[in-house]
Amino acid sequence: MCEEAVKDKKTTERDDKAVVEGAATALADRMLLPLLVAGALLASLGFVLAFTTAPLVVGAEADVPALIGGQMVTHKLLLSQKIFFFHVPVAVVSFIGLFVMALYGLRFLRQRDQIYDLKAMVAAEIALLFIVMTMLSGELWERFEWGVWWTWEPRLTTYLILMLLVIAYFILRAGIDDPERRAVFASAFGAIAFVDGLISLAVTRLIPAGAHPVVFRTDSGLPPAMLVPFILTLLGMLLVAFGLYRFRLRERRLHQQLDELKASYENQKGMH
Amino acid sequence: MDSILAEIYSTVLPAAPYVIAAYALIWLVLLAYVAVVISNLKKTEREMAALREELQRQQKD
Repeated sequence: MCEEAVKDKKTTERDDKAVVEGAATALADRMLLPLLVAGALLASLGFVLAFTTAPLVVGAEADVPALIGGQMVTHKLLLSQKIFFFHVPVAVVSFIGLFVMALYGLRFLRQRDQIYDLKAMVAAEIALLFIVMTMLSGELWERFEWGVWWTWEPRLTTYLILMLLVIAYFILRAGIDDPERRAVFASAFGAIAFVDGLISLAVTRLIPAGAHPVVFRTDSGLPPAMLVPFILTLLGMLLVAFGLYRFRLRERRLHQQLDELKASYENQKGMH
Repeated sequence: MDSILAEIYSTVLPAAPYVIAAYALIWLVLLAYVAVVISNLKKTEREMAALREELQRQQKD
């Protein structure tokens, strides 16, 4: 009697959870387009402010100082630093994507529910997208500031390894047919990729001699004129990433439903 | 331009193509991804509709 009551309670709890999750999914899907538009608008606003209100940062010392806009300028002004306003936000989003991938991978390993594997896979895809954007924008900054397309600097090297690991994650998935085995291997591999992400994130502090600047510091003293566009772009990119994640997830789920329908159709055909 | 100002702004113009390219590439990659997902979604929806039609046709037969 008591066991039955516990079982009933557990079933009710599971049903309630499913209802809440279903409602959350429906809400997220309804909000998809507004989220993407809001994200694009915020990022665009950040872009505009980065070029209008944010001042140019200074580089090497000039031979002779000059008075510009009532201020004495003693150093050369750098436009290349403007890349920072997009490069850093997309890099942050790529790390968040990796975290979500690892999180859903672990949830799959605990609960063995294929939906978590699907969510991990989509998060990995979004993470890879933002890694590529980070690499491209970083390469252009590096080419101009350091004069080279590539250097084996600790942050760059660990980030390149990270990109290769995420690509390998998809190669691994493509190589295993059994969905259960594929999900287990992918989840474990995703956790390894995430650890490299943590190393890449911390490497500028672990190896301070590296050429890549430490971006997040309590003493960075970023003035509001620079902080506001940076935060707007970061929020915008986060919304865009979340919108894309939900969009891709919806597409993948529909594709799965189609595959299931096809399989049952083939079975019916075979029986007749 | 004044030679002192020219020196102070000397890296601004040469950096412009790199800055523009970085921003353009970021948006291009995002748009390309959206285009791929939309194309996949439409293909899946088309196949789904065709399959439904086929199932309905079979049921009528």
